[in-house]
Amino acid sequence: MRGPHPVFVFVLLALTLVPAASEEAGVSVRDAWIRETPPGMTMMAGYMELRNNTARPQVLVAASSSGFGSVMIHHTLVKDGMARMAHASQIELAPNASLIFAPGGFHLMLMHPKRTLRAGDPVVIKLEFRGGPVLPVAFEVRK
Amino acid sequence: MNKNSLQFSVMITIVALAAMLAGAWLAEIYREHDSRAMLLPDQVITVFPAPKPLMPFALTDHKNRKFDLASLQGKWSFLFFGFTHCPDICPTTLAVLARARDNIARNAPGAEDIQFVFVSVDPNRDTASKLRHYVDYFDTTFLGVTGDNAQIGNLAGQLGAAYQVAITPGLENYPVYHTAAVFLLDPRARYHAVFTPPHDAEVLSRRFKVVRQLAAGNAT
Repeated sequence: MRGPHPVFVFVLLALTLVPAASEEAGVSVRDAWIRETPPGMTMMAGYMELRNNTARPQVLVAASSSGFGSVMIHHTLVKDGMARMAHASQIELAPNASLIFAPGGFHLMLMHPKRTLRAGDPVVIKLEFRGGPVLPVAFEVRK
Repeated sequence: MNKNSLQFSVMITIVALAAMLAGAWLAEIYREHDSRAMLLPDQVITVFPAPKPLMPFALTDHKNRKFDLASLQGKWSFLFFGFTHCPDICPTTLAVLARARDNIARNAPGAEDIQFVFVSVDPNRDTASKLRHYVDYFDTTFLGVTGDNAQIGNLAGQLGAAYQVAITPGLENYPVYHTAAVFLLDPRARYHAVFTPPHDAEVLSRRFKVVRQLAAGNAT
């Protein structure tokens, strides 16, 4: 047989996750989601996987959204046996590396949602990188 | 490309997928089996050889009922300390506990003899009605309890549960620090075991199953 069979190629492609990514700022984002909270809560958290596709460091300096009163970059740390949240003024993404915002680690702290967000709702959060590039990212609210 | 080679390829693909599924299934069986041998302290759970009986304490639950030593009798209790203004660790852990409860409820002997208790260390903001609203969202069987600082400190101190509330005048979102561990009390109101974060619903429910089985064996 010459070369891989088309069916094989198809199956391999199907098994490979193809990220839906925006490529501005040389940074792509996938799996961006916000944890649904009980209605009326003033604090939510957003998670995502950031990937720096360039050969130089990229620095996330701020995040904002018209859907929230304010957005901060936070890191949950464990110190003296206690979990605490630390504000991160910026986060550097190493060249060609990924950084995951996940429960118990880095997260976007989303304060004062403008409306009640339910699972399935889309929310756009803008990520600002050093040097000016702004990357709008579609987050999905998940239960 | 003839029809035979296409059929062959499809068959190979099915065999490969079946092998992957079988591998995942076997790995699961091994993990299940492993858990029986894992009651020594590890990264997930520490089970105490001599569970410590708790001393009296007095808290109030989300329906304004007393929550005290008697509330622990006859049930396994999973306790988690936190506060409702907590965006990351608390909702993450409560969601995991809700899934763990579902897992436990699905298999015999079920979830009749277990309760999940969210202890707010932030009574200043977490009133009974707020707690009710909050815990109901994750699971309607969950209890949300709190009390005055001395009584929260009493229970937390008995479990070695560290927390600190940094109330700052004029600051709405003052920081609250708290342990992310999940404490397991047995039906005799004794501090039986502690789960270390990060928590996973499947691991938690499997470990609990073993702890409960062993405790039943020891009691007879």
